[in-house]
Amino acid sequence: MKKKGLLVLFAGILMTLGLAGCGAKEKLKIYLPGEYMSDDLVPDFEKKYGVKVDVELFDSNEMMYTKVMAGDNYDVLIPSDYMIERLIKEDYLQKLDTSKISNYGKIVSDIRKAPYNGYDPAGEYSVPYFWGTVGIVYNEKNVPSSEVEEKGFGIMKDTKYAGKIYMYDSERDSFMIAFKDLGYSMNTNNEDEINAAYDWLVELNTTMDPTTVTDEVIDGMAQGRKDLAIVYSGDAAYILSENEDMRYYTPSYGTNVWVDAMVIPKNASNPELAYKFIDYVISYDAAMGNTEAVGYASVNSDVLNEVTKEGGLYDGNEAYVPRTGYDKDEVFTDNEFLRKKLSELWIKVKASK
Amino acid sequence: MKQFRKMVYPYLIWSTVMIAVPMLLILLYAFTVGGNSVSKFMFSFANFKRFLTDKTFLVVLYRSLRIAVETTVVCVLLGYPTAYIIAKFTEKVKMRWVLLITLPTWINMLVRTYAWTGILQDDGVINSILSFFGAGPITFMYTDFAVILGMVYNFLPFMVIQIYTSLTKMDYSLIEAACDLGANPRKCFTKVTLPLSMPGVISGITLVFLPSVSSFCIPRMLGGGSYVMVGTIIESQFLTAGDWNFGSAISLIMAIIIMISMYITKKVDKGEKLEGAQV
Repeated sequence: MKKKGLLVLFAGILMTLGLAGCGAKEKLKIYLPGEYMSDDLVPDFEKKYGVKVDVELFDSNEMMYTKVMAGDNYDVLIPSDYMIERLIKEDYLQKLDTSKISNYGKIVSDIRKAPYNGYDPAGEYSVPYFWGTVGIVYNEKNVPSSEVEEKGFGIMKDTKYAGKIYMYDSERDSFMIAFKDLGYSMNTNNEDEINAAYDWLVELNTTMDPTTVTDEVIDGMAQGRKDLAIVYSGDAAYILSENEDMRYYTPSYGTNVWVDAMVIPKNASNPELAYKFIDYVISYDAAMGNTEAVGYASVNSDVLNEVTKEGGLYDGNEAYVPRTGYDKDEVFTDNEFLRKKLSELWIKVKASK
Repeated sequence: MKQFRKMVYPYLIWSTVMIAVPMLLILLYAFTVGGNSVSKFMFSFANFKRFLTDKTFLVVLYRSLRIAVETTVVCVLLGYPTAYIIAKFTEKVKMRWVLLITLPTWINMLVRTYAWTGILQDDGVINSILSFFGAGPITFMYTDFAVILGMVYNFLPFMVIQIYTSLTKMDYSLIEAACDLGANPRKCFTKVTLPLSMPGVISGITLVFLPSVSSFCIPRMLGGGSYVMVGTIIESQFLTAGDWNFGSAISLIMAIIIMISMYITKKVDKGEKLEGAQV
């Protein structure tokens, strides 16, 4: 999940305030991560259907969960895979009638297959929004490609590059690279494996002097401030388009693949309009504008083909299209034991510096 | 006067609902285990035990207190002379200075702190200037220095205004009297001005220490994600770990530490007053 800055949240609140106060139009309330939608999408939708959309932004899936569980109701949410799995388990989401979504057939078929579909195997509750992977962005001038390919995530512990790395401040993503480098599943329940991953991260934190950030990594790598970073594919696509020295690599021994998708809660006040909105988001024009603005891989197959074909916006950008066909790639699954454990251990990893 | 008493009720209701009830909930969560639903709680000290027996948490607690104390000390050292100088100006000039001091607080704190990240960055304003003279680059970002700088910058106005207010409220004739009776300017300051302005310093310390010790925004922005403070742990317990019981217990421990330190500063204040009165 892409945590976005508080500044964005602040801007979002201002935006919501600014939009409030229109007449008695039909209303739609959506809740999505910050900096994760083209600025034109909502106004265009409002114009097309003569409705009014309230946009609220969240910093993290967990923050969204806390808010919806406290009783706030929305018509459309855009959480990540593991959070959708949790919401399905807790009986919070409506089953979708895909016949109401005319563009449903346009969705890239890979997203509906393993490993991407793990959170909602039959696709009954969610319509994909963006999808991607997690990998290493590195500066080719200072870090040879062969070395990155040989070591995978282990390169983050190569003391040659001490002080030159960004870690992503999220327990899930940091433990993921440790689990994968040790050859474990990132959804493990095995305490020994969790402890081994913890030691892996503590060693990294004490020997590598990493800079642990969230969104700052995007600007930092685009400016070439460091040589190595753990980055989401969509952010990596942006970094690569800004700085031609930067390359993206996903280790062949497996990484985290993910899908963020649109869902309709059971307590939605306007589900019909929610269907229209979801259909609009994945329609060709809206999806094109969205992927151009945000940089994450589109779920609309026509759009994906268009931007990656020769001369397209993301032609030759190795970070843009999420990979398929690696059997060790996994989506996160909802696992309360692991979630609590990692959250506590991550604080300890960071405090170990 | 009696008929005005009724006007207090709205405030009483407000503070009950908005302050007392949440505090009681924190108390309830802190002493229970068994998830975020209040209906199935079990009384326990486990949350406190977990915090107080884990070395990592105690190291973080120590760091938070150290950073807060350092911030407060720097604020006093910078704030007192500033307030003293402003208090010496004529009425019109004073107002201008007070306005200048409070002006930055009109802008959102996050925006101002973001500006500092731009200034302190490895390729930021300061390092650009340094490199122009062939020096640097010096790493400012993600260090103690950056965090304390950010906190001092954000909280200094509270200190200056508190001290300034107590300095201007002071009866100037006392200083004149001290001078008449043969005290030199230095003695005048240490025996009269300083003790009389202590209430301002104390409330300034309170206003600076409280937000610094529980701050998590400034440390994260200027200290980086690995700059863990107690506020960071509390935030993560509520937002990512979803363990409200443990989060509440840490909040309660912080509240107790703050109350104790307030009690001590009050004591010190009283002691100084007695000493001042003996002159």
